[in-house]
Amino acid sequence: MKCKLCNREAILDLCRYHEGAKQRVIAGYRTWVKAYGEMEWKDYLDKVKRNEQTGQWAKEIAEMLEGIQND
Amino acid sequence: MILEFGGSVSPASGYTLVVCEKPDAAQRVAEALSDGNAQGSAFEGVKIFRFTSQGEDFVICSAQGHVYAISDPFDERTVYPIFDVEWYPSNLVEEKNLNAARRIKAIRRLAEGATKFVNACDLDPEGETIGFNVLRYACGDKEAEALRAKFSTLTRDDVVAAFKQARPQAGQGPARAGRARHLIDFVWGVNLSRVLSQSALSSGHRYRTISMGRVQGPTLAFLAEREIEIRECVPLPFWKVSGTFGKNGTQFIAGYSNEKVRSKVVAEKVRDDCTGREGFVVSVARNVAQVPPPPSFSTGDLQKEAYRAFRFSPSQTLQVAERLYLNAVISYPRTNSQRLPPSINYRAILQGLQRLDRYSRLAGDLLGGALNPSQGSKVDPAHPAIHPTGELPRRSLGPPEAAVFDLIVRRFLAAFGPSARRELVTVRISVGEHDFVLSGGRTLHQGWIGSYGRYAGIGDKCVPSVAEGDSLRVVRVDVREHFDKGPPRYNQSSILEKMERENIGTKATRAEIISTLVERGYVEGGSMEVTSLGLAVIEAMEKYAPAILTTKLTRKIEERIEEVEGEARADAELVRETVRSIAEQLVGLRANENVVGREIDAALPGTVAASHVLGPCPVCKSGQLRMIRSRSTKKRFVGCSNYSLGCRASAPLPQRGTVETTPKACSDCSWPVIRIMGGRTPWKLCVNPKCPTKRQKKKP
Repeated sequence: MKCKLCNREAILDLCRYHEGAKQRVIAGYRTWVKAYGEMEWKDYLDKVKRNEQTGQWAKEIAEMLEGIQND
Repeated sequence: MILEFGGSVSPASGYTLVVCEKPDAAQRVAEALSDGNAQGSAFEGVKIFRFTSQGEDFVICSAQGHVYAISDPFDERTVYPIFDVEWYPSNLVEEKNLNAARRIKAIRRLAEGATKFVNACDLDPEGETIGFNVLRYACGDKEAEALRAKFSTLTRDDVVAAFKQARPQAGQGPARAGRARHLIDFVWGVNLSRVLSQSALSSGHRYRTISMGRVQGPTLAFLAEREIEIRECVPLPFWKVSGTFGKNGTQFIAGYSNEKVRSKVVAEKVRDDCTGREGFVVSVARNVAQVPPPPSFSTGDLQKEAYRAFRFSPSQTLQVAERLYLNAVISYPRTNSQRLPPSINYRAILQGLQRLDRYSRLAGDLLGGALNPSQGSKVDPAHPAIHPTGELPRRSLGPPEAAVFDLIVRRFLAAFGPSARRELVTVRISVGEHDFVLSGGRTLHQGWIGSYGRYAGIGDKCVPSVAEGDSLRVVRVDVREHFDKGPPRYNQSSILEKMERENIGTKATRAEIISTLVERGYVEGGSMEVTSLGLAVIEAMEKYAPAILTTKLTRKIEERIEEVEGEARADAELVRETVRSIAEQLVGLRANENVVGREIDAALPGTVAASHVLGPCPVCKSGQLRMIRSRSTKKRFVGCSNYSLGCRASAPLPQRGTVETTPKACSDCSWPVIRIMGGRTPWKLCVNPKCPTKRQKKKP
């Protein structure tokens, strides 16, 4: 099976790198909510996606999760 | 008396043949031994020097770096494993090295008439190897009887003293260690590179060189580990609170005692609590610290400092330093030492530097007192720390040479300077329950900083004049949102430092290994960003030959090489042991040759370099848009695979950065969207030059 974001060999639907980034994005949400007091999931994804410090794979994951949210 | 001879006429017999590593070094040695009277002449197309000194006839010749190289009898890139290797003249191994044959022929003829041999190659593993090989193969097994002249600078005094003290080398430990290192690295590199390249070929693609050296593997693994951290990074927010305080009409800013407030609510509460309040100076702590001078440079220290000061890559710095050494203005630049022994004659060097206007005053000041340089902890039995020789450059130095020379001289002068004295001030301000801190520092006594100049990078930060108990007006409190930066990418200096810390590679090879990673396309040069190919190779190695990537194996080999150098271990035993380790690692790779190739390939489809396919052609709907390189202009562009069937879809491409595909097509025109990797931030681009989104952007 191929990663749906980069075509590398996938574990389920993501490669090990994007899977690692996904875990970071999900874990980051809890920290961001604590930091800001409150924050919607989609606002979080939008901010992560636009942040200059966000890594390339984490950005792609944020975009993917945002797409799932919009669908 | 100078006895010259030219053409191909052999000199009379009965002379001492001196073998140097490079032609420039040969000239310096000849000048030193002949008191400046030696003149070069051609022999078999190679420049040599002949003269008589104190009743002894000398002929000085030189190699040109390695004139012998290791190869296997097959020299066929499809054949592996290879364990049966031997030294050959370099011209038979590297087609470009045409000089080697001429030099070997000349040295061989000169050796026939020589009655005494002196090895005057550089005193390091490479020099030992070069000298040993020339004496063994070109001179006919003369390595044991040859005298070894050991010097750290090419100044007259050092060279003459070295020849007076030249002795035969009993066990040839350093040379055997150098040769063993070459042999191990060759066997390691050739086998792993051939299996990786063959696996790529067997997966159905054109041949490409995928190499993996002994130190290259762990180094690439460090870079890849950091790259993954960077690309997976989700930054965490924090807030910085700063207070603007006023006293007697002046204002200054102090930061909140907790530099990173992790909660927006807490940060805003601090602001609300403090706004409009009065603050008090709780304490003013003043500490005077002595800042001792830094020691003189080891090779790694010089490479790191030249990167910091001039952004020179480690290999560039080493090349420049090598030229300065051959010009006799600095000592041998490949050294681990941070120490300056008195035997280098501090006073004579400073007197020499006094003759250069820009260092005249600094050197003169030092000569007025006792000379006790700062000594670092690192030692090298072969050479002292890098230092100027005190000789004036014979020719004007080019800009990079002048820059590195200035850095070395100033560091040398700084090492003799007194400690600098710095006052560090910390002011604590209390506003209700909240504390703010203001720190600063200034130099009270310059000491060595005066010699090191701008390279010291120590500036003053003034703190306003306040005293304990002073009341301050809180003018304003600001809260600013920030995000943690991801881990920094290694740069050429920090990866070199990491290699040093992990004790892999040598002072002579580290810079070259970093350059090879760039040449192979595993790493983008400027940013040291690991490419998809680099990550794919690491993935394959982790799976099928993990020991290759660990520092444990390569460090163990380094330790064993050191034992050979100290003659505590036989070189043949080390080579046997290492070959066994390599063979074990090859088993996994060889058994999975096809799979490894496919997996590297599978990890690459994002990289156009592998497949060249960007995506389906939106014009003819049946072809594929591919990246093509123009034969005439060498520029890359996009074209359709159905060109021969009449599809003329094409587009220009950026000429810099790695092109990667994305799974997306442009939402406006359906052409593929690509990602350009280069610099810190990759950027996306629809390849269609007539994409409506681009036209919109161009409108004012």
